[in-house]
Amino acid sequence: MTRAVAIALKIPDNTAFTAAVALRRLGVGVERVERSEIYFFDDGGDVPALIERITADETIFNPNTHRLTVLDEAAPRPGEVWIEPLDPVTLSVSKGDGEKAATSWRLLGRNDASLDQEALRAAAERLLCNPAIERAVY
Amino acid sequence: MSARIAVPVFPGTNSEDETLRLLRDCGGNAELVHWSQASKLARYDAYVLSGGFAYEDRIRAGAIAAHDRMMDYVIEAAASGKLVFGICNGAQILLEAGLVPGTGPIRRPTAAFTRNGPAPHFICRHVYMKLAIEPVRCAITAALPEGALVPAWAAHAEGRLAATPEHLSEIVGGGHLAFIYASANGIVDAAAVPNGSALGCAGLVNREGNVLAIMPHPERDAWNFNHLDRRESDDVLAPSGGSLLFRSFVQALASA
Amino acid sequence: MELHAFDAAWSEHCSYKSSRRFLKNLPTSGARVLLGPGEDAGILHLGTHDGERYAIVVAHESHNHPSQVVPFEGAATGIGGIVRDVLCMGAEVIAVADPLRFGRCDDPASHESHVARGAVDGIGAYGNAIGVPNVAGDVYFEHGFDENCLVNVVALGIVNEKDIIHSYVPKGAEGWQLVLVGKATDPSGFGGASFSSLALDARDAELNKGAVQVPDPFFKNVLMRASYRVFALLRERKVVAAFKDLGAGGIVGCSAEITAHGGYGAQIELDKVNVAVEGMPPEVIAVGETQERMLWAVPPDFVPELLRVYNEEFGLPDVAYNARATPIGEVTAQRRYVLRYRDQIVMDVESEFLTGSIHDELPYTEKIYHRAAAQELPALDIQRIFPRVLAHRDVCSREPLYRRYDSVVRGRTVLPRGAADAGVLAPVPGSRLGVALAVAGNPRYGSIDAAYAAEQAVLEAMRRVVAVGAHPIGLTDCLNFGNPRRSEQFGGFVAAVEALAHAAAELDLPFVSGNVSLYNETSAGRAIPASAIVACIGSIADIANVVTPGFKAAGSALLWVGSREFVTGGSVLAELLGDKGTLPRIEYDAERAALAIMRDAIARGVVRACRVVADGGMLTAVARLAFDARAAGRKLGAEIDFGNPLCEAGGFVCEIAADSGMDVTGTLQIGTTTDAPELIANGTRFDIERLYEIWSQPLAKLYP
Repeated sequence: MTRAVAIALKIPDNTAFTAAVALRRLGVGVERVERSEIYFFDDGGDVPALIERITADETIFNPNTHRLTVLDEAAPRPGEVWIEPLDPVTLSVSKGDGEKAATSWRLLGRNDASLDQEALRAAAERLLCNPAIERAVY
Repeated sequence: MSARIAVPVFPGTNSEDETLRLLRDCGGNAELVHWSQASKLARYDAYVLSGGFAYEDRIRAGAIAAHDRMMDYVIEAAASGKLVFGICNGAQILLEAGLVPGTGPIRRPTAAFTRNGPAPHFICRHVYMKLAIEPVRCAITAALPEGALVPAWAAHAEGRLAATPEHLSEIVGGGHLAFIYASANGIVDAAAVPNGSALGCAGLVNREGNVLAIMPHPERDAWNFNHLDRRESDDVLAPSGGSLLFRSFVQALASA
Repeated sequence: MELHAFDAAWSEHCSYKSSRRFLKNLPTSGARVLLGPGEDAGILHLGTHDGERYAIVVAHESHNHPSQVVPFEGAATGIGGIVRDVLCMGAEVIAVADPLRFGRCDDPASHESHVARGAVDGIGAYGNAIGVPNVAGDVYFEHGFDENCLVNVVALGIVNEKDIIHSYVPKGAEGWQLVLVGKATDPSGFGGASFSSLALDARDAELNKGAVQVPDPFFKNVLMRASYRVFALLRERKVVAAFKDLGAGGIVGCSAEITAHGGYGAQIELDKVNVAVEGMPPEVIAVGETQERMLWAVPPDFVPELLRVYNEEFGLPDVAYNARATPIGEVTAQRRYVLRYRDQIVMDVESEFLTGSIHDELPYTEKIYHRAAAQELPALDIQRIFPRVLAHRDVCSREPLYRRYDSVVRGRTVLPRGAADAGVLAPVPGSRLGVALAVAGNPRYGSIDAAYAAEQAVLEAMRRVVAVGAHPIGLTDCLNFGNPRRSEQFGGFVAAVEALAHAAAELDLPFVSGNVSLYNETSAGRAIPASAIVACIGSIADIANVVTPGFKAAGSALLWVGSREFVTGGSVLAELLGDKGTLPRIEYDAERAALAIMRDAIARGVVRACRVVADGGMLTAVARLAFDARAAGRKLGAEIDFGNPLCEAGGFVCEIAADSGMDVTGTLQIGTTTDAPELIANGTRFDIERLYEIWSQPLAKLYP
């Protein structure tokens, strides 16, 4: 079965910070942005084995800088937009294949409230998604 | 008073010096304009966006820079018909700003110079760009001979032209494909393309012909000492083939 | 607090407490030397242009242990650190080089391969982003490095000699301000200097990661450019200042050295340090090794201008969180080092206490290596074995690796990475001056004889620079060795230093910068192959005289210029034959004679093409000249006849016009160039296209 894994930075995420600043300039009412990279693994039935595989190899994960979350569903959570490349890269992680499937952007407003679909759509259209090479999934 | 050329410097730009040096060597009245002095950009007649990693290519190559205040001036200038020339990261910024191919609204890109293929890695390789349009189709290439071969260095991780099939046919149909990769003898084939670029594209021009975006760096093969195949009789400090395009750009300003 | 400060300042890594007594035997002076070892980098006179004297600044370091643990970040911060060393001498950084030693990477999915790829990508990501071309380097893959890779880094800068900035305050600096510039101090690099001095153990790898710094080339790009702007202002206003990189020992290490080496003390207010997280303990602020920070010592009236450039014109606070230039203390007349935190004195010691050295007289086993007379191998089946030599991991094309590096950014590159045996730049725009850079250090020799390997490293680095038409002017070294507390391993180190000193003295070349990296061993206590890695800097008066790559024409003479020794020991051929071989004594009279012939030939302009004879022997060098011609679209070959064309006898193979009129005394004509795309060696015929395919492919599996 396909499992989605989100890998985010534990250390300050400059890209997320820059995205928040740029989005505010573009009129999106965002206070904070959380970013993570989403990977799909086809053989992800056994969650502990999958985590072991990803952490043993350091292709996509470094325990000192990254936080890893195995998602319940391979789909964006509320408040998130996933930007998916139209031609994803397959990479080898500990002798198995993974696919760098998307970048997840979670947009937060005041009091860390998730922004609504309309705001997510505006953020994707104005900055986060280049439709020539990517698509936005809400 | 000759036309004034600005070379905007974003945080992360790294090719401003050689770009400036070559523009001046070709007779251009050029200067660097720093991001902390963006408003000065209103006073120039032409703009050259140089290579580097503006804003660390955060989100996508060129994406943040395309929305920078400095680009407000460049976009306005392009709309008024002034010349805008982007190289490497400068080209990526122009695509993200929607100025080239210019087939959509401003800051709504219809194409991208994106991750190299098939291997998704940085590549540093000497290449030749072949002019694929009528020279006068683009003001910046107007002084080049037809089918001109310009030596340059590809040095990028994200230089592959990618777009949807509809946009790619618009690029072809609208005459936006300004430069394609070729071998040293001018032959166009897959082996000459360093990055898997669609259409073998090395450069794009907008509809009006005043904005040109190229991925390889002719300013790094600009003097004979840069050029590995120089002849013994060549003066090493004299211009080499890469300077042709810059010369054409400066000439276009003089005749404007 | 003091414990942490001493731990950092006195760790093996930064004080050389066991090695210093041997290093002082290296020759470090000469007519070209403006600054020998002692500050952040060495400086060599390059030449004069428009009445101005220009110098090359050079630094050479290792980042071995961090690169083994976190290859990408470790190698990237290695480039970051070496670039700061050159920058803070007041120079513009113009090039980097990266001698690399990895484990065997026969399986592209192995951990060794992960290290080899991660380190290369880290070096590329950093250098490419800051816009400093990578023009030289080498790579070897040996089992001896499986658990302990070597990532050495070299950087070059160009400076007008009257604008050199020193790493210590001058006389009259009392009351000068100490201004910290760069990223906000964070806990990321706490314990770094001590960490490098521990042998690596898989169990500790996780723990050690806390001490590996986070590279930020984007920030460095801005910091470098802002610093260039400050250099210009200092020149304009004729202000003298001191500038130093924050390396081992963080703020304490740097501020103590910049003041004490000028004969002063310092008072530092830790509260003034810009930090990334609140509530950091004072010792972490004081000795933490956060990347991308430097320290200025400037007269008080220059401080506002300094702060304006970094904080406003270049907007450091907008580029990274809480990054800025901040005054943190001042230079004091009393030779005491005082740290204050929250109105309390947390440290007050004599300055020398932190910067002086302690010596550790570790015992070593004296190494005696037996050198054999030259020997000839039995007749070889060249047809069968030469393709295997070309495909060997130490001989095959490095292009899949180095094409990930920007070799031409800044537009001053004359010979980019891989085009020839050394990289060449035209560092002063508009001038004909050139500088060449090459590195060497063959671990196959190192695993047999540490002393021979060290001498050959000097010779090979120098030959590489000569082969492109440069005049060698100076050397740097990084001594990568095992555990000094094991007398057998330490004996190899001692022998290598003596050998370096001997070779440099024989060739009249000074060492102007260097670094020692010890404890390079596996958890089982096995040392890496002895690795004295040497870089050579060459000056070029007129870049028109640079020897360009590849055969130029058919019918040229191919000359061998070398010492006439047949060396099989440690060669690729010996490995393929399953024989370790023996090593000869190096005859410096012959080496000097060969150099004199090359210099004369290049000065007369008769050398059309040249490569050194090194890994893979004479036939490999000839094949590479044909490959270089092929890359330029010239279909040329060669026919040679040579005793043992796969021996790695050092020297040069040159293409000389048949009618050059050159006095060929002391050289040996081994053959001629031909207009057929084939290589004929001792009657055996090879197709160049086929050879090229064999040579160019192997590393593409590791670096696709």
